[in-house]
Amino acid sequence: MIEDDEMSQTEQGPASPAAHGVELTKTYGTGDAVVRALDGVTVEFERGRFTAVMGPSGSGKSTLMHCMAGLDVPTSGRTFVGDHEIGLLDDSELTDMRRDQIGFVFQSFNLVPTLTAAENITLPADLAGVEVDQAWFDYLVQALGIADRLSHRPTEMSGGQQQRVACARALIRRPELIFADEPTGNLDSSSSAELLEFLRSSVTEHGQSIVMVTHDPRGAAYADRVVFLADGKVVGELLSPTAASVLAQMMKLGS
Amino acid sequence: MRKVTVNGLLARKLRLALTALAIVLGVTFVTGTLVLTDTLNRTFDNLVGTAYQHISFEVRGKAVFGSNTVSGTAGRRPIPASIATAVRGVPGVAYVDPQVQGYAQFVARDGDAIGSAASALGFSFDPNRQLSAVRLVQGSPPTTGQDVLMDKGTATKYHFTIGERVRVVSGRSPQMFTITGIVTFGSADNLAGATLAGFALPTAQDLFNTRGQYDTLNVLAKPGADNISLQRAIAKLLPPDVQVVSGQTAANELTSAISNALSFLSTALLVFALISLFVGAFTIFNTFSITVGQRTRELALLRVVGASRRQIFRSVLAEAALLGLAASLIGLGLGVLAALGLKALLGAFGITLPSAPLVFEARTVVLALAVGVGVTVVSAIGPARRAVRIAPVAALVDHHEEEPESVRRRATAGSVVAVGGIVALVAGLAAPAIALVGIGAVAMFIGAGMLAPIVARPMSSVLGRPLAAILGTPGRLGRENSMRSPRRTAQTAAALMVGMALVSALGVLGASLSASAKSNLDSAVTADYLITGPNSGFSTSVAPAVARIPGVAVVTNVYKGQFELGGTLSGIDGVTPAHLSQTVHLALTAGRGAPALAAGELLIDTTTASAKHLSVGSVAPVTFAQTGASKITIGGIFKTNPLIGSYVVGAPFFISHFHNPLPIAVLVSAQPGASHVGSAINNYLNVYPNVGVKSRAQFEQSQQHTLNQELGLVYVLLALAIVVALIGIVNTLMLSVFERTHELGLLRAVGMRRGQVRAMIRSEAVIIALFGAVIGVIIGTALGVAFAASLKSQGITEIAIPFASLIGFLILSAVLGLAAASWPARRAAKLDVLAAIAAD
Repeated sequence: MIEDDEMSQTEQGPASPAAHGVELTKTYGTGDAVVRALDGVTVEFERGRFTAVMGPSGSGKSTLMHCMAGLDVPTSGRTFVGDHEIGLLDDSELTDMRRDQIGFVFQSFNLVPTLTAAENITLPADLAGVEVDQAWFDYLVQALGIADRLSHRPTEMSGGQQQRVACARALIRRPELIFADEPTGNLDSSSSAELLEFLRSSVTEHGQSIVMVTHDPRGAAYADRVVFLADGKVVGELLSPTAASVLAQMMKLGS
Repeated sequence: MRKVTVNGLLARKLRLALTALAIVLGVTFVTGTLVLTDTLNRTFDNLVGTAYQHISFEVRGKAVFGSNTVSGTAGRRPIPASIATAVRGVPGVAYVDPQVQGYAQFVARDGDAIGSAASALGFSFDPNRQLSAVRLVQGSPPTTGQDVLMDKGTATKYHFTIGERVRVVSGRSPQMFTITGIVTFGSADNLAGATLAGFALPTAQDLFNTRGQYDTLNVLAKPGADNISLQRAIAKLLPPDVQVVSGQTAANELTSAISNALSFLSTALLVFALISLFVGAFTIFNTFSITVGQRTRELALLRVVGASRRQIFRSVLAEAALLGLAASLIGLGLGVLAALGLKALLGAFGITLPSAPLVFEARTVVLALAVGVGVTVVSAIGPARRAVRIAPVAALVDHHEEEPESVRRRATAGSVVAVGGIVALVAGLAAPAIALVGIGAVAMFIGAGMLAPIVARPMSSVLGRPLAAILGTPGRLGRENSMRSPRRTAQTAAALMVGMALVSALGVLGASLSASAKSNLDSAVTADYLITGPNSGFSTSVAPAVARIPGVAVVTNVYKGQFELGGTLSGIDGVTPAHLSQTVHLALTAGRGAPALAAGELLIDTTTASAKHLSVGSVAPVTFAQTGASKITIGGIFKTNPLIGSYVVGAPFFISHFHNPLPIAVLVSAQPGASHVGSAINNYLNVYPNVGVKSRAQFEQSQQHTLNQELGLVYVLLALAIVVALIGIVNTLMLSVFERTHELGLLRAVGMRRGQVRAMIRSEAVIIALFGAVIGVIIGTALGVAFAASLKSQGITEIAIPFASLIGFLILSAVLGLAAASWPARRAAKLDVLAAIAAD
C-alpha cells in the first residue's frame, strides 16, 4: 500500500521495484513441438511508474504478465511482487496476494454480472472481509465519472463505463501493482483516451504503479517506460515514449 | 444434419451423461418390475401346472359367491364322503383321490412357529401318490393319527429328521406328531415358500374339522377314456351344490387368481417407476433448455449457413431420442439385475420365492424403450421449440441475452394447467378413479412448475439472506446467482419439488393413518388385552382356557367371515354376546346391542344402514356358504368403526353358519385390581406359538410398527425419485459452472479463495433445494390432506399433519442440496484461473 504524502516527487521512484522477474522461462509442449513463450526474461517494474509491455502476438507479453501476477507459474526463474517471492506461495496465499496487493483490468468482461457497479468495486475488500476507505471510494468514483452508475448492473452500462468501474475496483485497495491487459482493446477512441488519462493521473498524482500490456503505440505513449518483447525475450526499452518513437522502435524491431 | 447431431452429442458427453442417468434409473425400475412379475408369473404357472398335471377332473362344492381368491376354498362347502364312492363306480374313472386341506404350522424346537401362518399348508397325503405332485423322497407315508410328513425345506433348515417328534399348531389344540417322511413338491423343497405338513386322510379330516367330508376329489381318467362324456357321467351323480370341472379349468382358475395378485403388485411398482420417470422428465427438460441456451451461437450459425427451422427442431429432438435410446438400453440391462434385487427386497418383507431363471420377454424390451425414449423426447420438445426461435443474427452478436419472458402469459398458462389439475385430482378422489387422480396430479405438478419461476426470485432472496449473512460475500454471490435467472432456478428445483411433495403427502397420509388407527382402536375396544394369531384363525380352546386364569373377568371371541347381503359380498364379524360391553364398545344409535346378538339378530353400522335403507326391525335376505340363503332381522345400528366392520352377529350364530369357524382374536378384560393377568395369559400361550397376547397399549404399538414398516417401504420406493431429482440439481450446477467459467476465473483472479468459491456454489445449491422443498412440502401437505380426507370411508377418520417430519424433510432437502453441490463446487474451485479468464 502506498501513502499519498510519500509520493510528491515523480522524478525518481524508491529503491525496491513494485515487481520484478529473474530469468523467467515458460515452455509448452515437448520434443519437436516445444514452444518457448518466455525465454530467459529478466525485467523490473518500478514503483510509482507507468510501464508498458509491448510486442507482436506470440512475443510472450501476456505470458509475462500472467507470471508476474501470480496467475501462471513459470517453468523456471523467480518472480517477485514487492519483496515477496511468488513462487514460494501456495494457492491460498497467491489468492490473498491477488486480492490485497494486485489490481486487474482485463480487456473485456471485467465485472461480475450479478453485482452492481458499487459492489463490483468493493469486491476485493468484501472478499477479504474488510471495509473500504470511503473517502477514497468517493474520490475514485467521482474522478472516473461513474457516480451515477453505482447501483446499475454491468448489462446496464456501456463498455467504457464497465472499464472505468473495473479501474475503480483495481485501485480501491491501493495495491502494490496494477496489471492492465489491453484495457482499451474494446473501447472507442474517446473512451480509450479517458481511461488512459485516468491511469496516467493515478500514477502521477497518487504514486500508483501500473504495468500495461498493449499493442497500441498511442496507448504506450501514456507510459513512463516501454519494455519490448519478441520471441520470449526482452529486445528493447524506451524511456519517456511518444507514439512516434514507439512506432519507430517497433518497426526497427520488426525488421 | 445427422453429423451435426451426433457430433454435438459426443462433444457434450459428460454433460449429457448425468441427464441420461435419470432415464437409466427410471427404465431400470420399469424393466426390473416387468421382469420380476413375468418371472413370478412363470414360476407360479409352472407350480400350478405341476400340481395339476395328472388330474383329469376336480370335484368340489359349488362356489356360493364368486370370490376367486388364491386360497381357492372361499365360499365352497366341503362335500360328503359318499360322493367319492359314487364317482369311483363310474366306468372310465381310473382313480379318485379325496383331498382335505387347511392351516397347519410346524413349531421349531425353540418354541417359535416356523414360517408365516399365511403359508403353512396342511393336507391329506394319498399313499397311492398317483395324482399328487407331492413326492415322498424319504421315509414312509403317514398311517396313524400321530404321523406327519414334513417338507424338505423345513426339515433341512430346522434340522428335523425322520422319527423325531414335532409340534403342529392348527385350528385344534397344538399336538405332537412323529415325522415319518420327508416330501417335496415336484422338484422344489416346498411350495413357493409355503411349508407342507402331510397327514393321513382321517387325521387331516380330524384336524380341519371335516369328518366324513372332503374338500375336493381329484379324479384320474383311464387312458383312452373320452373325457367329455366321462365328465358328464360324473356330473349326473352329483348333488346340485357340487360340481365337476376339468383339471385344466381348475388349474386356470388358480393361475388367474395368482396372476391377478401379481398384476396388482406389478402395477404398484410401475406407478413408482413412472413417478421416477416423471421427475426425470423435469431434469431432461431443464438440461436441454440450458444446453440449447448455451448453444445459441452454434445453432444460429447453422441457421445462417442455411439450415431450416424444421431441421433444427428435428436435430434437437433426434439428440434427445438418441440419448433416450442409449439410456434405455443401459436401463434394460440394469433392470434385469434390479429384478434380482427386488426379489431380495420382497423376501425381506416376508414374501419368499423359489429361485428360477428370470423371464425376459420381448414386451419388456419394447415397453422399456418406448417409455425411456418417449419421456426423453417429450421433455425435449419445449427446448427444441425454443431452439427454433433463435434468430440467425445471434451468431454474429457478441453478447447474447436470454429472451425476455412474458410473465403474464406464463402466469395464465400455468394457472390454467394447475387449476385444471387440481379439479381433476379432486374429482378423481371423489369418484374414485385412480387414472383421473394420476392425470390430475401430473397436470398440477406441471402447472406448479410453470408458476414456480414467478416466485423464484423473491423466495431465493428470502432463503438466501441467512446464507449471505453467515457466509459473507460467497453467500451473497450464491444468493445473487440463484436470483439471477428465476426460470433456471425454478426448473432445477422443480424435480425436487415433485419428489418432496410426494414424500410430504406420504407423511401426512401416514400420520393420519396412525392417528386414525389409534382412535379407531380406542373407540372400539375396551378390553385390556388382545389375543391374536394367524388370519386363518386359531384354536377354539384358547378362549375357555384363558377364561379360567385368575383375574380374568370377561373373554370375548371374535370371528371374521364373508357372506352376502342383498346380493353384495361383505365381511361379517361374530362376537361373544356375553358381557360384550366390557371388551367391545358398540356406539349404538338405534336398537339393542348384545341382547340383539344373543337373539340371533344382525347389527349394522350407520353407513350401511343409510346406504341400504335398513333400520331396526328390517328383515334382509342373506346367503352363507355353509347354510345357503336365508333371512335375518336387523337388531341394532352402531356408529361406524373401521376396526369392527359393518356387520356383526353373535358368536353362536356365526358358528352355526360357517364351516369350521376359528376365532381370529380373543379380547380379554381383567377384573379391577387384578395384577399379572397379562403375564399369566402369556405363560399359558406358550403352548400356542402362533398366538400372542398384547395389552391394548402394546397392540397399538405393534399396529404403529407394522404401519411404519409399510410406510418405510413406500418411502424407499419414493427415494429413487428424490435421487433422480438430486441428479438434476448436480447436472444443472455443473452446466452452470461451465457456463460461468469466465466469471469464476475473474473472481479467482480478483482474489476469491477456492474455499470461498465452493461456499458460493454450495449456497446456490442449498437455496435451489430449499426453494423446491418448500413449495413441494406445501403442495404435498395439501395433497396428503386431500387423499386422507377422501379415504374417510376406508378408515382414515383423523387427519394429522406431522409438522416435525415436514420440517425434517426441509432440513433434509438442504442437506441433500449441499451434497449435490459437492462435485460442482470442487470443479468450480479447481478451475485453472488463467484458462478461465481466457475462456469466452
